[in-house]
Amino acid sequence: MTRFTRREFLVTSGTGLGLLAAGCAPTIKGDFSPKTGRRVVVIGGGWGGATAAKYVRLADPSIEVILLEPNRRFVSCPFSNLVLSGVRTIDSLTFGYRGLRNHGVRVLHEAATAIEPDARRVRVGEGYLQYDRLIVSPGVEFQTEQVDGLGQAGDEVLHAWKAGPQTVMLADRLRAMPDGGVFVLTVPPVAYRCPPGPYERVCQVAWYLKNNKPKSKLIVLDANQNIVSKTALFRAAWQAYPNLEYRASNKVVKVDPGARQVTTEFGDAVKYDVVNLIPPQRAGTIAVQADLVSADKRWCEVNHVTYESVKHQNVHVIGDSTIGLPVPKSGNIANAMGKISALAVVHLLNGKEPLALAPGNTCYSWVNDREAIAVVNAYRIDGGKVVQIEQKLTPGQSAQWGRHAVGWATSIWNDVLG
Amino acid sequence: MRTTLAVFVVLAVAPGAAAGPLDAPGAAKAVVCSACHGEGGQSPSNVMPILAGMPSWYLKKAVDDYAAGRRLSPEMEPYAKQVLQLGVDEIAAYFAGQTRRPPDVRSDPAAVERGRAAAGQCVGCHTASGKGDPAKGIPDITGQPPGYLQNQMLLFKTDRRSPGDESLKALKAFFKTLPDEQIADLAGFYSSLR
Repeated sequence: MTRFTRREFLVTSGTGLGLLAAGCAPTIKGDFSPKTGRRVVVIGGGWGGATAAKYVRLADPSIEVILLEPNRRFVSCPFSNLVLSGVRTIDSLTFGYRGLRNHGVRVLHEAATAIEPDARRVRVGEGYLQYDRLIVSPGVEFQTEQVDGLGQAGDEVLHAWKAGPQTVMLADRLRAMPDGGVFVLTVPPVAYRCPPGPYERVCQVAWYLKNNKPKSKLIVLDANQNIVSKTALFRAAWQAYPNLEYRASNKVVKVDPGARQVTTEFGDAVKYDVVNLIPPQRAGTIAVQADLVSADKRWCEVNHVTYESVKHQNVHVIGDSTIGLPVPKSGNIANAMGKISALAVVHLLNGKEPLALAPGNTCYSWVNDREAIAVVNAYRIDGGKVVQIEQKLTPGQSAQWGRHAVGWATSIWNDVLG
Repeated sequence: MRTTLAVFVVLAVAPGAAAGPLDAPGAAKAVVCSACHGEGGQSPSNVMPILAGMPSWYLKKAVDDYAAGRRLSPEMEPYAKQVLQLGVDEIAAYFAGQTRRPPDVRSDPAAVERGRAAAGQCVGCHTASGKGDPAKGIPDITGQPPGYLQNQMLLFKTDRRSPGDESLKALKAFFKTLPDEQIADLAGFYSSLR
């Protein structure tokens, strides 16, 4: 295994990419990298896609793997709420793709613009890539049209729900907020990426305010009827934050950055000094454009063993954009789906029966600067479907689970990218 | 068979490759484990144990103990049940066949030396090499991340690992006599052994 290092993105890379190394649109025309053997193309270099690309190469190095990911750096969503409280830096969560290149994955920093399932090709700019099997891991896209005023608000209203520049901007706004200010955080209706994520964020913002701006207040407007995940554990953790006001069944439908207020579906207006509006979500845009989504036009149904789309053959969909499995939309699940789908693809390309493997999920949430809670889910395949074996929660919050969280992150970042 | 061998050779020499092909018995069933325990069971963190090279009898015992709630872990209990349903024999055989590398987390040399001086208390059961005695059910405690070893000893000391297990009574009584600092030193020493 290659030990991968944080921030290796600073090292210029591109060795072995050939034509792909150019990475600029004008060079990409027609079949810009003709297929010479069996090829898997992966769309999206997040938790699912990066893992899938690596594990196809591990399972069968004779298969060419091309990963399409526009971003040159991977920023981990897990742990990014700690950037808001100042416990972590964004740099400590930022990694490059050199580890995947060391496995022989051809990483192309371009966006896939369309999928042509019948022709088995992916459009990239004015060119295209042929594939034998395609793995699509597009993550989520925001349904900004669901909140009046959000589409026009730009960076005035931050989601910070894809770790990166918005995470840092939100942390800066929290720091700049005067003591006595009001921070409003809105939670979208399920299904959305990372069910406990908003509530962990609540903990981190509340912890920061308690220690740095004790006259300030955090108002949480949750579209759901109750805390969606780890409910009792978060309720217990919130006892430490008297500056927190939680309002369930308060779906935000409007934001007005000029007036600095949000409005709920019942017409209640809530003023803010800083807002963090996490919008409703659907599968990444390319999945919608490629008709991989179900009738609701939101999420993608897949075969539970191979992750092949129920809509298009030879196209596999993994990660947050999937629906119908009894699993959360988490980085750990996307990582597991990446490995299982990679093995299924390799088996199918080699004329073998795919193995009936189920994912697992380990999910830590930080409730202050050093203590965490966790939920763990184990699964099996029964009758071709993923079913849950068991769910366990930590008995409470502790620094021990915090240490385990750090161990988990160290290990899984390596599993995804190392 | 020829294909399998060819794949193995390529993987063995390719930079960054795993220790074996993923379609070897147990390898595919173990992929979910790598999220926490590392590729091929080579855990890179200070918390999760290295499964690479772990004798299969001990890994199977650990999985059984976690699944039955004898070793208390909200993280491992569900996964242990998943492993039992997938087939623990194949998974344990896969990890036992992986070559263990030294832990990525290195111990403080001074702690290692202090631990070496204190380790005379352990050799009666775990032997001078620290490799244990499988015939008596005594495990190999060498080459694991120091944080993992330290945590297990603290769990024994506070009776939170296998509570009520009569066979561990003497061990737990012994740990109760050890200051936490010495437990950290012993962890550093046994982590450094190969």
